[in-house]
Amino acid sequence: MITIQNLTKVFRTEEVETSALSGISLEIKKGDFLTIMGPSGCGKSTLLNIIGLLDSATDGSYKLLDQEMIGLKEKGRAAVRKENIGFIFQNFNLIDELSVYDNIELPLLYNNVKASDRKQKIEAIAEKLNISHRLKHYPQQLSGGQQQRVAVARALVNDPKIILADEPTGNLDSKNGNEVMELLTDLHAKGATILMVTHSDYDASFSQKTIHMKDGVIFSERFNQRNVDVFMDAK
Amino acid sequence: MIFNWFKIFIYHLKQSKLFSFLNVLGLSIGIAGVIFAILYWNNENAYDQWNPEKENVYQVLNKIGMTGDTWATSSIPFGETCKATIPEIESIAFLNIWYSEAPIKYKDQKVMDKKIMGADNGFFDVFPFPILKGAKTNILKENNSVAMSEEAAKLLFKDEDPIGKSVSYESKTYIVKSIYRLMKPSSIEPNFVFGGVRREQDKDSWGNFNYGLMVKIKKGADPVAVLKKMQNVDFVNRTLKDAKESGMTVAQHIKEYGQTTVILDQLKTARLYGTKSSSGRNFPEGRGNLQLLYIMVGLSILILVLSLVNYINLATASAIKRAKEVGVRKIVGATKKQIIAQFIFETAIIVILAIIFALAIVELSLPYYNNFLKKTLTMNGGEFYLQLIFIFGLVIVLAGIFPAVYISNFETLKVLKGNFSRSKSGIWVRNSMLIFQFGIAAFFIIGALIVNSQVNYMMNKDLGFSGDQIIRIPYSLPDFRTKTDKYQTAKQEIAKITGVQGVTTFAGSFGNSTNSSSGFTHNGIFVQPRNVEMDFGFLEMMKIKIVKGRDLSPQFASDTIDNWLINETLAKKLNLKNPINTIITSGWGRGNDNENMKFKIVGVVKDFHITGLQDKVPPMIFINLKTLKWNNFDNIYVKVSPNNLSETLASLKAYWEKNVNPDYPFDYEFVNKGFAKTYEEQVKQKDVFFILNLVVIIIAIFGLFALASFSMERRLKEIAIRKTLGAETDILLKELSKQYVIFCLMGFLIGIVPAYILLQKWLENFAFRINVSVIPFTVALVSLLILTLMIVLAKAYQVTKIDILKYLKYE
Repeated sequence: MITIQNLTKVFRTEEVETSALSGISLEIKKGDFLTIMGPSGCGKSTLLNIIGLLDSATDGSYKLLDQEMIGLKEKGRAAVRKENIGFIFQNFNLIDELSVYDNIELPLLYNNVKASDRKQKIEAIAEKLNISHRLKHYPQQLSGGQQQRVAVARALVNDPKIILADEPTGNLDSKNGNEVMELLTDLHAKGATILMVTHSDYDASFSQKTIHMKDGVIFSERFNQRNVDVFMDAK
Repeated sequence: MIFNWFKIFIYHLKQSKLFSFLNVLGLSIGIAGVIFAILYWNNENAYDQWNPEKENVYQVLNKIGMTGDTWATSSIPFGETCKATIPEIESIAFLNIWYSEAPIKYKDQKVMDKKIMGADNGFFDVFPFPILKGAKTNILKENNSVAMSEEAAKLLFKDEDPIGKSVSYESKTYIVKSIYRLMKPSSIEPNFVFGGVRREQDKDSWGNFNYGLMVKIKKGADPVAVLKKMQNVDFVNRTLKDAKESGMTVAQHIKEYGQTTVILDQLKTARLYGTKSSSGRNFPEGRGNLQLLYIMVGLSILILVLSLVNYINLATASAIKRAKEVGVRKIVGATKKQIIAQFIFETAIIVILAIIFALAIVELSLPYYNNFLKKTLTMNGGEFYLQLIFIFGLVIVLAGIFPAVYISNFETLKVLKGNFSRSKSGIWVRNSMLIFQFGIAAFFIIGALIVNSQVNYMMNKDLGFSGDQIIRIPYSLPDFRTKTDKYQTAKQEIAKITGVQGVTTFAGSFGNSTNSSSGFTHNGIFVQPRNVEMDFGFLEMMKIKIVKGRDLSPQFASDTIDNWLINETLAKKLNLKNPINTIITSGWGRGNDNENMKFKIVGVVKDFHITGLQDKVPPMIFINLKTLKWNNFDNIYVKVSPNNLSETLASLKAYWEKNVNPDYPFDYEFVNKGFAKTYEEQVKQKDVFFILNLVVIIIAIFGLFALASFSMERRLKEIAIRKTLGAETDILLKELSKQYVIFCLMGFLIGIVPAYILLQKWLENFAFRINVSVIPFTVALVSLLILTLMIVLAKAYQVTKIDILKYLKYE
């Protein structure tokens, strides 16, 4: 689904040239659940942003669904983004002025989904994420966990090809954090493709594969054990 | 504390240089507008305030029952009888309500003066100009007395002592009695006051309303009672007497002819609030233009309000940036009052800057303003500075208090926790102010368009005559009896000058009506037509058409005896279906018996405009100069070829000064230009509207830009989120501009109602006017929308280009 070859990203200021990514190669297949870990400044968020088409690479190749993304104009990126990618952020990034329902509706609006279909889809996803009773509320009226569930709902409502999660549990307590991770695992089990950035080993253990980055390069890849599930069940 | 406030004020000033500058500029334009209005207001209200008798002196006006005209003139016996029979009247004065313009000679010195008054001995009782030299009382007791202002005396006599010297004026000799100091502004500002204004033949004529009359009543006397008594004098001596003479009962007579209503206007308020006489002139210096004054004051207040709204909007919008500071100040112990004081302090600094700016603007543009008002206003006087301080206070209160209270009400905890920048508080106030601004802008655009099209209409309307290439030359002779004969000679000589294509005259001028008007009754209908005493060929040269019958012609002897022409309006008023050959008894006596002169209508003249388009075309009769021999024409009309115009004019001047009247400088004016003076006022109003329109639109656009900037910048995170979710630029632009378009429409709806009502009222000044169509409203709406979209889209486009990542992460 995603093929990245020799991707580099260089930040230039007047005096310094910082290399955030230097020659990353990576492949994500349909149905993968991948975690990127690493210390602050290792380039993991930059990589995620480039994959999410929020940022552009300096050099290299990034193919999404066999389509080259490097060199795409903003308009084209917006089009690819709204059809294929769902975002989950650490700070939720919900629009405070809009209700939960309206927030979830946004991607459907931008994808020109018919009004009747929209309602159906929103209700279905809200049901799935257990926030149906919250649809009329505003983000500020919800707990952190609920807000993140709304963000997840918004990311999923349009059936994206890949879900990008940037520290999804970073602003949550462990109970709510667990809930969100379970949600992602669940989605993965149903076939979703997920790419997650995290600091937490615990969160990473929910995924199939963990990539460790340092100073803009990938230095280890590791398959996670499934025994985590046992631990979860024990809890 | 103040130093601390000042430091943070300077910091913010530096942070947003452009906005701060525009803010100060906006306020200063508003304040400058108010200063202009105040200067005008002060000047108009200062008229006659120097006069210690202003509360006791009244001008007498008469509303004539038969025609409904109001005259600012009275008859001599009326004034004398009032003085003799009403004990409350201390003194009266007869005077001219216009200035004469004539040369005044002393030995070989000649001064051409434009402000010459004729008056009687009462003049200095009602206008007590301080006497510097000569007699202090009974100055104009003798008919050959003259008093003059010190400036005039200086011009005429240089260093000589003028008292007792004789000067000549209109071929008569006058003795200089006194020198006075002119006090300005005054309803009468004469350089010379000549005695002997009362003419012998008017002494006992109750019907000759030839003189301005001022009465001075005793201190403490009740003006209402005086008025009642004066009304009674008129009733006893005119209505009662006339009724008796005509053999009717009083009631019958009043029913037939109406009766005169006497009006008293106090000098203190006469200039601005006095009764408007039908000729529009009550005093030599004219009346105050109350309508223009109200327009100026009203519009300047609107502009000030607009700039205040801008200031408040910006202050509350940018207050959000100050929220954290306020929170911290509160935590370390600032009270609410202190916060309010701090922000009012900031407003005060801005207002001081704005006032300095405004004074500079006024100083620079005062010459243009003076030119526009034909005044010499200056910025000084204690009153003006007091008003300036009042404005300062008012602006601070209006502009400062709301934002200060708004800011001081921030909740400390919320502010410090962050998340405040997206607070909704205050939004509705800002939005409704924005709508209000749109309303004002719509009002101004519509107003300017309507005023403009009315002025265009007036400039292009077919007037019924053609003034192209025709010049009017003032024609004045010392002896008016020889006027017609001299004119006939001059006409033949002038016609010989190269470049002259025609010479003619009539008793009147285009734009100012004719010189006389005489009433008569025909078939029971009373009419008061204007008299056009004209030379043969006048109608032809002016290209005025005859619709029925024929023009007067030298071929018919009776055309100089008892034939006349009437215009269409008169024919309609008299209900004449076939006017030709109708015999009409005029209002003019034949002199030797009681019969009035009879005239046969030989032609009907197509209506043409003799006065401005404010007035309907009056009924008119046309007779030849020789018919009545009144000799009251005072212009000669010459048609000149456009080629070698300057040579033609030079020859005319040479001829004039040699043969016509060497005392009068040769002067001329194109008829079209003279007529254009009738809408000079409206052209001015158009210009005012145009300039104010620019100012208002600039302020409004700036306000819109600033507000849109602030509110969009507050939405940066939302925009970033939307972009992340795949929103494309054009969708975002639509999203961001939508509300402004709605505000614009709402403001427009608010603006059209007052615009329609006020402009309709303005148009009622004109007998000939445009209909208010939808076009100005449409144009205003479209241009307002285009402006709004330009501003908003430019700003919106800028914010959609933001770096998404920055706002997703760090907000």
